[in-house]
Amino acid sequence: MDDRTVSYANGILELARAEGEADRVENELFEIAQALDKSPELRSALTDPQLPIERKQAVIADLLGARASATTVGIVQYIVSQGRISELPDVATALVEKAAEARSKALAEVRSAVPLDDITIERLTTALSKATGKSVEVKVIVDESVIGGIVARVGDTVIDGSIARRVDSLRQALNTR
Amino acid sequence: MHFLNALTVLAQEEETSGGLSLVLPHPEELIAGILAFLIVFFFVWKWALPTINKTLEARQQAITAQIDEAEAAKREAETLLTDYKAQLADSKAEGNRIVEEARVAGDQMKSEIISKANDEAEQLIAKARTEADTEKSRALADARREVGELSVELAGKIVGESLDPKAHQDLVDRYLADLEKM
Repeated sequence: MDDRTVSYANGILELARAEGEADRVENELFEIAQALDKSPELRSALTDPQLPIERKQAVIADLLGARASATTVGIVQYIVSQGRISELPDVATALVEKAAEARSKALAEVRSAVPLDDITIERLTTALSKATGKSVEVKVIVDESVIGGIVARVGDTVIDGSIARRVDSLRQALNTR
Repeated sequence: MHFLNALTVLAQEEETSGGLSLVLPHPEELIAGILAFLIVFFFVWKWALPTINKTLEARQQAITAQIDEAEAAKREAETLLTDYKAQLADSKAEGNRIVEEARVAGDQMKSEIISKANDEAEQLIAKARTEADTEKSRALADARREVGELSVELAGKIVGESLDPKAHQDLVDRYLADLEKM
């Protein structure tokens, strides 16, 4: 993560706090980042140099207008106008980490093939806090490439209990035989 | 008849006064003859004889020299013949030796070429065999990897598709149980 990403995250956090919408903006940006991650069409449309900035901003307004806060939409439109939409996922991750840090918490990025219910998230928070020795805040990313199970990342620690990992180790076992 | 009578008378006379005196010259005539003979003999002995002797001697020497020369020439010819024969024998031996050497060299070269060709053929065969083995094992490894990749991909897909919500929840629960044990 480079300096500009961190600076963006800090700026957005300050801005959202000033608007009194820190948590909402944080969550919304995280979700937008995930949506971008999953939709190559949206990503290529927003990074297309042929498309005028106004058009891209209109797309953002159309997509988010009704669901997200005005602050979030404004921030995303600003990022699009700077031509840095491809950096949004990194900025969102940095933002969530910063926000968690501000609450004296560590971010636990949890990838699962299916959405997780609140009870499970609660149990994950407790277990991951205990396992890492840090007070964690769980953010769930639905990622079908996990196939089944869960991959949790807290800082540099990765706790992988996914089917994808088992398939991978099977592949490696086959290749090294 | 008169003449005959005269001769008979003469003969009777001679016989009566000694017959030899008729044949023998007169003494003065004899002395002159001896003197003349001595003079002639002297001249012949003094000048003609040495000249004749000289000529004869020269002739004899010439003949002896010719004989010697002929003998020398004969000896020389014999020596030459012997030398020639020796040389001929040498040449024959040399020729035989060269032919023999050539034959030996030829045989050696032949066997060298054959053994070299055999070696090369063996090397080629060994190389081809090694290459074939390598190729085979590479193809096998490729096939194995390919099959492995496909199987794993297929396994992943099948597992992913066969996971129902309950199976997903079970996986999550197992993960949580493991995590809580840490």
